[in-house]
Order: sequence, then structure tokens, then C-alpha cells
Amino acid sequence: MKILGISAHYHDSAAALVVDGVPIAAVQEERLSRRKNDASFPLGAIEWCLDRAGLEPADLDAVVFYERSMLKFDRTLTSTLRAFPRSWRSFPSAIKNMLGEKVWARGIIASYLGVPRDRILFTAHHAAHAAAAFLTAPTKRAAILTADGVGEWATLTVGHGERTADGRTAITLLREIKYPHSLGMLYSTVTAYLGFAVNEDEYKVMGLAAYGRPAYADQVRKVVRRTADGAFTLDLDYFDFHTTAKRSYSSRFLDLFGPARNPYEPIDVGTPEGRRFADIAASVQAVLEEILVDIARSLRRETGLADLCIGGGVALNSVANARILNESGFDRVFVPPAPGDAGCSLGAALYADRIYFRQPDRDVPDHPFWGPVIDPGELARAATEDGQSLEELDDPALLERVADDLAAGRVVGWLDGACEFGPRALGHRSILAAPQPAAMRDRLNRDIKFREEFRPFAPVVPIEYAHRLFDLPPGGASLARFMSGVFPVRPEWRERLAAVTHVDGTARVQTLERAMAPRLYDLLEAYGRRTGLPVLLNTSFNLAGEPIVARAVEGYLTFRRCGIDVLVAGNAVVTKRVAAPAASIKEYA
Amino acid sequence: MPAARSARAGRLFRPVHRWVWGDLDRRVRKLLVFGEVETDGGRDILRAAEVTPDPLLRRLYLEHALDELRHGHMFRERGAAILRARALKAGGIFDGNPLPGGHGLDDLHVENEPDHRLLAFLHVAEKAAAGRFAIYRDVVDDDPETRAIFEEILRDEVFHMNYSYTQLTRVAPDSYKRHVWRARASRLWKRYVRAMAALAALIGNTILTVIYFIVLPLFAWLAKRGERREAQGWSAMTGVRDESPTSQY
Repeated sequence: MKILGISAHYHDSAAALVVDGVPIAAVQEERLSRRKNDASFPLGAIEWCLDRAGLEPADLDAVVFYERSMLKFDRTLTSTLRAFPRSWRSFPSAIKNMLGEKVWARGIIASYLGVPRDRILFTAHHAAHAAAAFLTAPTKRAAILTADGVGEWATLTVGHGERTADGRTAITLLREIKYPHSLGMLYSTVTAYLGFAVNEDEYKVMGLAAYGRPAYADQVRKVVRRTADGAFTLDLDYFDFHTTAKRSYSSRFLDLFGPARNPYEPIDVGTPEGRRFADIAASVQAVLEEILVDIARSLRRETGLADLCIGGGVALNSVANARILNESGFDRVFVPPAPGDAGCSLGAALYADRIYFRQPDRDVPDHPFWGPVIDPGELARAATEDGQSLEELDDPALLERVADDLAAGRVVGWLDGACEFGPRALGHRSILAAPQPAAMRDRLNRDIKFREEFRPFAPVVPIEYAHRLFDLPPGGASLARFMSGVFPVRPEWRERLAAVTHVDGTARVQTLERAMAPRLYDLLEAYGRRTGLPVLLNTSFNLAGEPIVARAVEGYLTFRRCGIDVLVAGNAVVTKRVAAPAASIKEYA
Repeated sequence: MPAARSARAGRLFRPVHRWVWGDLDRRVRKLLVFGEVETDGGRDILRAAEVTPDPLLRRLYLEHALDELRHGHMFRERGAAILRARALKAGGIFDGNPLPGGHGLDDLHVENEPDHRLLAFLHVAEKAAAGRFAIYRDVVDDDPETRAIFEEILRDEVFHMNYSYTQLTRVAPDSYKRHVWRARASRLWKRYVRAMAALAALIGNTILTVIYFIVLPLFAWLAKRGERREAQGWSAMTGVRDESPTSQY
């Protein structure tokens, strides 16, 4: 069967194609449109997926949308009514927003793709999250936990999944916590309060938390209270997200935590005000972890299963994931490379295949590389036309050459094969650098990524070396496969891994098996032969506010306008020449 | 002629601009919004650099994009500096949320535009922006730092105006004048569409607000009653397994 999954109209729209039970292609719209978190209908992504498989829309057996649109409308309307009369300002925009596009998902898909309406299916949003987490994980039976801001009504669900020996698959969601009670909304509210962009910068709160102490944890516990049955509820007096789209927190929230941060001011954790913000970030992080660990622990007791699959945007909180692995009693925790809404496109397609159409279970290749493939020729052409220094090397020579560059402290843009699906660069669209000097972190933040100085960088290490350098618990290496867990760097290595060790002595490590990204693995080994340490700093190939690059020319233009020294695409290597004086190009005016 | 007309219109509205920029809160808001618009515009031009098959245009677009991104940074920094220097009125400029992003290149989808059309658009847009920025420079004479930013940007705008026109004559030697006129007409049409959309939004909002207060109170009462009856904490998901795949509910 050929099934197309679509997520759209909220944030981070995407398309994924599953043929005979196996993903063939998946890509976020932002990677093609180059608009960060592009939420528009993912026509570009759909076209690319179909082209990749050589299919026409008419060949599809089903197109699956990642949520039930009318149920979402029901939630929006009911929430507005419940907040009457405080919601009067948000009501017109909420209605126009829903009626303008979101509730017409079936019609929009039918008109864009020309497929019959009876081939257009829907999954519940958290069912798509659950499927993306469970059906892509290398496990036969697992408990499932999904958590995000909100889907239709659910904000957090628990359940379990099973693939039986006869090929059937079952996903059973047992319980849910309903909107407006949402850990994702709590975290987003604090994200807005700290002056960061909601639905985009939540990971900055996680990074900032390491600089603070949970001094405000009691205040956070006032805002989010535990219920007798082990769930939680938000005290809505502290929030405004359910009454207006303009502000997430109420004036009572400000009374409790103090004035919000001015988003245009840099955070300086050396000042009392900066420390207050770091403490608030640490507090919300601590309470989030507490609740998630507690829910996961109960789920472990209830199901008796050894494995846990986590999905939903909250699963991008790799500090919380590691605590769940350490403290909940599960032996293994799996988080897919795209646990957020983009991944729902793949989840919805797999859910339809296994559950709606009862197709036999198939193992899903355990890697994130489902996007557009790099064309080294594109880089060679652009570099030659611009008079940049281009070399085309065979693999062994290229790896030795790049390892030399890295060992000499140069920063390398690394484009290889197919683009990752999900927010993390896992070795195909990466900026690589030496992990040793702390100055490298500052240089990358300041001259290359143009981002806040408190933001940490992640290391990538061959899986065989990971335990030597990082304090990984049992199951830690598998959680670190897609950079989904944060673990302590062993104290004796912290100085030599200063650029990738966060202020609290941890790192969001990626453990790499050779089969997943063989060229990067070989590069790590080549680098290790030079320095005695086969670890590299690995950060996504994009600048602040931009999506990760997909094509070689996008990588090339990023390389041209930041401090990356060397750019590699396949077998093409470009070394940056001192920029021609701007006056020369200005002569063309 | 159009430039002269625009200059006359600019002079006509100068007191309005002086009034807008005279208030520090409005000045900060303007600067921060310009910061977003310039940054978005820079990204759009960068996209043009990524998709153009013409190597010279790629280099020029890149240079232009870098200028726009730098302008965005300068506006943001200046807005933030004024904020630092002056405590704002409570709830004035933002409530902890960054301002919404700008519209980049006038909602232009650069991927779908041939170079000649994009160059004509850039030329016209940069010329208009230069005219506006010249007025803003003049009305902020009490603020040398902000004035200096406009001065610097105006110098860049000259390059942007000139290269876009020169390159347009290169890529479309026979039809460049027609493209410039089309770009002017297109900008005018988009302004009209935006104004009408704003009017429609105003009418829509008014009607929906009236409906909200007249029709919804009873339903709101029912919804609140339902909420009070809802148990807090977990809810069982009994129906999930029986849901129809084609149902949107």
C-alpha cells in the first residue's frame, strides 16, 4: 500500500510517504521553503515525497491527516466559551483561523492532490505521536507516553503497543489529560515569559536551566498541581493562553515570578536578573521532570513492560528523557528523531498502514535520513563560479584531509547523503568542530551560529567509545542514538571536552553506529587517530532563525556568510578564501 | 515623475511622521518592527540567491541579503538600546512576547519569480524604502544614533537600487522598462489588497464580536457548567479504538 501522511496548519508542517509498510521519504516543509517552522500546507514536501518514489497522487491508496480537524475546532470553540467573557478579544481571530483553513483539511487535500475524498483519512493527533514513537522503535512491546502542547483535546496520553508474532500491530491509548491542563503549554508559557519564541525556543529554556537552581520550584508547583490520581492540573488563574493568543501568562503569574524578560535584552547569568531567569527555567524544568518521571513510573508499574516509547514535542526535552530512563524503572527508552508535530506525518501514515489497513508489521529502518539527497555537483558549480578553492577527493583522502582541518581547529560544514527528518542534525547536515577548547563553543555561538552565549553544543562519538567518556546508564546509548538524552560527561574528560560540556557537566551526546552514518563514523575515527579522542562537536547546519539546510547551494551560501572554514558536500571540499572586498561586487551596481 | 510624486507625498506627511517618531514608545516599536521586516527581507533575498541560476546575481543577492540582515540587526540593537535607557509604560510594547515577524519581500514567493521580475520588484521597493528612510532620518534629528542608522542604510539602498536596475537591463535588455512599470503596478495592487483585507478583517471582527456577546452567552453558560462537572486528572480513552478513519470528529 502507498500511504501519504501529512501534518500541517499549526507549526512545522511535513509530509511522509510509506510504501508497503516502510517509510520511503519524509521531509519538513521548512527544509524546502526555507521558512523556519513553516506551517503552511506542505505542498512542496508532498511533491518531493511523491517524486522520490516516482508516484502520482492518483497512485496513493490513502492520504492521512495527522489530527481530527473538527474535534480540534470543537476544542477551540469550547475553550473560548469556557473563558467567556475574557475571551472576547481572541474569539474573532480563533474563529477566522479555524474556519479560514484548519477545519477544511479534507477539502484542501482533495483539491491540492486531486485524490478522491474517501481516500482521505484522519488519525487522532496523539495516536499519530504514539505511532511515530512506537512503530519506528526497535521493540516488539512497549509502554507509550505522548506529551505536547495540545492535539485535539489531549495534551498527554499513556498506553502501550504490541507487535505480535502473526504480524498484527496494536496501539492502545489508555488515558489522557485534556486541554487546558498541559505540560507543553506550561513550558511554552515559561518560554514566552523568558522572552523566547513559543513553539521554537523551548530548548533555550532547557539550556538556560543548567545555569540556575530550582529556587522557584514551589511557585511552579502552585501553578501546576498534582491530582489524586497521579495526573496534574494547571491553575488557570496564572495563565492566559486559553483566553487570548497574545499572551500566555496572566498578571498573577507575574506577581508570582516577577517581571517578564525583555526579549530584546541579552541574558547575562552573571547578573541577579539573569540568575532569576535561570532559576525560573531550572524550576520549571525540575517540576516537568518530576511529573514526567512520576507518570512514567506509574506506567511501568501498570504495564510491567521493559521498554517505553515517548512521543510529542515534550519528548524533545532530552534532560527529562534521561531522568525518565534513570528513574522510572524502564530498561530502555525510545524517542524518534522527529517526536514533534512534523513526525506526526510519518506516525499518521504508519498508523493507517498497521491499524486501519491491518497490514503486517514491518521493521522500520532505524535512522533519520529520509529527506532530500545532497548533490555535490551543485556545490562544485557554485564554488567554481565564485572562484572559491574547490577540491574533489575520493573518500579516504577526503576524510584524512577533513580530520586534519578539524584537528587544526577549523570549523567544517558537513553535507552528506539524505537530509535528517526532525529538528536535530545527526550527521548529514552538520557543522563539525573540535570538542576540546571552550573557546570553540564561544566562537561557534558568536561567529557561526549567531546565537546566545549560554547555549551548549552536542558531541557525537562512536558508540564503542561512548561509555568511556560519558556516564551512560543502561539504555543510555540507545537513547543517545538520536541525541534524545543528556548525560554527565565523565569528570576526567570534561576539560578535554570543554566545548561540548554544558555548565552542569552534562552533554546531549549522540552515539553513532557505523551503519547509520558510515562517513561521519570514519571521520570520527580519523580525527581520533590524530587527537586520541574520537569525538566531534556536532551542531545543526543552520544559522539562528533559519531552518537546517537541505541542498548543497544552501549550505554553500550559509558557509559564505558565517565563520565556517571548510565546506564538504559528498566528495567536494571547498576551503574558504579570504572574502573578496565588498567593493568588487559593488562595482556591478 | 513617480519619484517626484512620492517625494511630494513624503513632504506632505512629514508632520505625521514627526509625530509618530516623536514618541519614544512608538519609536522603539517602529525600530523593532523594522528589524523584523529587514531580517525577513534579507532571508527572502538570500532565498533568491539560492535559487537563481545566474552566478553574478547569486553574488549580488548574497551581498544585498547580508546588508538587509545587518540592517535588521542595527534596528533591533537600537530599539533595545532605547528600551534599556528608558523604562517603558506597563504593557506598552510587548507582553513578554517578541513582536510578530515582518512580511519580508512583500509576501513575494521568490522561488516562483524569474530574475527579471524579482530585480524589477527589488528596484522599485528599494527606491520606495530609500524615500521613506530619508524622511525618517530627517524627523529623528533629536536622536543622533538612530539618525546615523538611517544614514548608513540609505547608503546601502543606493547600491541596492542601482545594482537591481543595472542587472535588470542586463537580463531583460528589451523589456526592462515594462518590468519596472509592472512592479510598480503590482506594489500598488498589493497595497490595495492589503488595505481591503484589513477592512474585511475589521468588518469580520466586528460581526464576530457582536455574535460573541449576543449569541454565545447561553452556550458559554452551558460550556462552563460542563467544565464544572468534568473530573480533574486522567480521562479514560475508551472510544479511540472504534473511531472511524474517515471521521474528522
